[in-house]
Amino acid sequence: MTSIKHAVARTVFVVLGVASTTHVGTAGQARTPDQASTSPDPKDWVTYGGTYNSQRYSQLKQVTAANAARLQPKWVYHVAGTEELESTPIVLNGVMYISGFNRVDALDARTGNIVWKYQRQPQVSTRQRGTVAYVDKVYVVTSDSHLVALDARTGGIRWDVKSEGGYAIAGGAPLVADGKVIVSGNRPNGFIQAYDAATGQYIWTWSALPKPDDPAYATWGGSTPAGAPIWVSGSYDPESNLIYYGTGQPNPQWTGSGRPGDNLYSDSIVALDVKSGALKWHFQNTPHDTHDWDSLEAPVLVDAVFRGQPRKLLLQANRNGFYYVLDRTNGEFLLGTPFVDQLDWATGLDAKGRPIVAPGHEPTVKGTKTCPSTMGATNWPPPTYSPDTRYFYVVAAEGCGVNVITSSTTADSETGYYESPHEPWQAYVRAIDALTGKRVWEYKAVRSNHYGPGLLSTAGGIVFAPEQFGQVSVLDARTGQSLWHFNTGDLITAAPATYSVDGQQYFAIASGTNVFAFGLPEPR
Amino acid sequence: MKAAMLIVVLLVASASGPLIGQRGGGAGLTNPFLGNAAAVSEGETLYNGNCATCHGSGATGGETGPAIVSGDRVEIGGSDAQMFTIVKNGVTGTTMTPQRLPDSDLWKIVTYIHALRGPALDNPLPGDAAHGEAVFWGKGRCGTCHMLSGKGGLTAPDLSNIAGVRKSSSIVDALTKQQHRVYGSGGAHLKSLPPMESYLPVFVTTADGKTIDGVLLNEDSYSLQMIGNDQQLHMFDKSKLRKYAVERRSLMPTDYDKRLAPDEFKDLLAFLTRQGIKPAAAGRRGGPEGQ
Repeated sequence: MTSIKHAVARTVFVVLGVASTTHVGTAGQARTPDQASTSPDPKDWVTYGGTYNSQRYSQLKQVTAANAARLQPKWVYHVAGTEELESTPIVLNGVMYISGFNRVDALDARTGNIVWKYQRQPQVSTRQRGTVAYVDKVYVVTSDSHLVALDARTGGIRWDVKSEGGYAIAGGAPLVADGKVIVSGNRPNGFIQAYDAATGQYIWTWSALPKPDDPAYATWGGSTPAGAPIWVSGSYDPESNLIYYGTGQPNPQWTGSGRPGDNLYSDSIVALDVKSGALKWHFQNTPHDTHDWDSLEAPVLVDAVFRGQPRKLLLQANRNGFYYVLDRTNGEFLLGTPFVDQLDWATGLDAKGRPIVAPGHEPTVKGTKTCPSTMGATNWPPPTYSPDTRYFYVVAAEGCGVNVITSSTTADSETGYYESPHEPWQAYVRAIDALTGKRVWEYKAVRSNHYGPGLLSTAGGIVFAPEQFGQVSVLDARTGQSLWHFNTGDLITAAPATYSVDGQQYFAIASGTNVFAFGLPEPR
Repeated sequence: MKAAMLIVVLLVASASGPLIGQRGGGAGLTNPFLGNAAAVSEGETLYNGNCATCHGSGATGGETGPAIVSGDRVEIGGSDAQMFTIVKNGVTGTTMTPQRLPDSDLWKIVTYIHALRGPALDNPLPGDAAHGEAVFWGKGRCGTCHMLSGKGGLTAPDLSNIAGVRKSSSIVDALTKQQHRVYGSGGAHLKSLPPMESYLPVFVTTADGKTIDGVLLNEDSYSLQMIGNDQQLHMFDKSKLRKYAVERRSLMPTDYDKRLAPDEFKDLLAFLTRQGIKPAAAGRRGGPEGQ
């Protein structure tokens, strides 16, 4: 195109400051698709889990346990028109992308200044957990279940496709794997779909409910499989080209009498071939669930020597109260142990990881106390794994719930659950030795009684740990000692990101309807 | 006491996780004529006979009634259901009296106002859109600066959804009037921080003497964000620049009604007023349910 330089005469120049250093934050060379999909630049936070293994571990180490006390707020951005943000900020080449259904706000990640906004009508406040940036595009889901690719530079629409087959895409952040955008949802039942990242072309659908020709169909005792919603993003292993997702509860949700059996593939961790969408293996955490213990907690991929053997592992702290270590090549159960004290629905796990269920915990009209509660020992807010400490950090909630159903004879009885009045819930950040499941330390989040915030860890030896009640803390990754804190003044139900622009490291977290960025004082 | 002990009760209808218990949606009145061109036309006649005396032609405001349609962009809020209720019942304490017309006529008036208020997609201009597309990429040279669905330039706003966010009249003005932007009244409070829309020419010289020219996406007192002529996004700390200048003048030509033949201009508008995506119906919180 014609240079604007020639089209318009140069006019008044504003001269500011002393010329000392080069400019910052030029959106640099994009990584090739291969690089982008296997090893995102550590300065970026391109996907919900930070990297494709969902470790939420950053190699950035400008901020350390030694200097974290000097962290300060850098900017705040109000995301007008939202109610309570759940999205993880996504950062690529110095631009931060904050998303909701129908919407992306792109910010200069160093200043918080708006670069562009994409707003498709109608403006909605339904919660959504983020977007994904890949090479030169940002992907967002709309309230009418379109998947839209935006130009990362301007927010211009590169392509826009309606979801295939009438499936409704949910609020989990899209995942890019093998050049495909992977989305998931709940309606009409749990599903995962893949679209070409460059063109939007539809590629495959995997349904979380078995068809009659699948042996798993028999696990529904003659009833029609229902449920297994998938509303959280998954993980990707580029070496094996497998993606890993959790699935949600079977339906009807609270009364299991009409669906005798394990109810596959509900409450499971599944591994799919990213090229075809074929199920490679599944591991069901909670067979025949009546407590809404979705397995949607992040599947964290770790390579480590386990019991003397190098193994490709998958770690998950599950809503049902157990911490699991699986072999991610085949789904083999390696280890499982409670990460909360209050767990009474099972007496343990058998050699294959199947819970040994304790009697008397089915929801009843009168109410049945069960630990953990339906809210879960943890929930979708993602944990983090540090390869430096080999600890798995998770927001854990101690507490029991009372589950009630409104009728003992109706198959789809309505229900509720409430906090057991004599044992109020309490949230902690817990460090678990990833390979043994032993608890190493815990940090009590005073007043927080609920899951809400996710975590991240860094090569600087810290865990960035927001709390439900608005505090943001930095904890020493080895000891759990609090090194710094800041009150955001609103509830936090989102997970943080860390990134670097021109050598300066930042941490970002959504709180209420705002996004906060923190960093060390810049040298003068 | 017992009730107070139920600290958290979450009634769950369908879904899981943190989205349980989200608040319900609005009222049930639905415009039966939405998207019905004949109803728009009949509604215009009804409006002119019943409403224009106070609210003015085109609902832009009259001597005694306020503007119902105003501004450059699509109005957010003021749903068809709310408008129907106002027209039917009037506004207590004002000269806006209940309109004694059949409900179907009231809905036609609402449908006409919806078309006036709504984006170009709801009320696209007549013409040969296919020919207009040829003009867009050809004689009009619009694609040199503007992008449509991934094709075109980056030094002007992306137009892929222009008809979804602007009215037809606003698109015509952008092609023909130098001062075509309609600003809010001086005392109006903005709802939120707006992004820049103007794509002003900007010229930057970095500390090491490199020049980067392009168009401005945004600036504040300390930083600026721009698309360079290299088609890349650049972001600068102003204190670290040797100099920079912003030309306070849009690069957008505004004489397309003269530089194009009448049929070319008409067809270009027919094309532009169809570039967009129909908004989805709003569910709970306006968004998808069951998550």
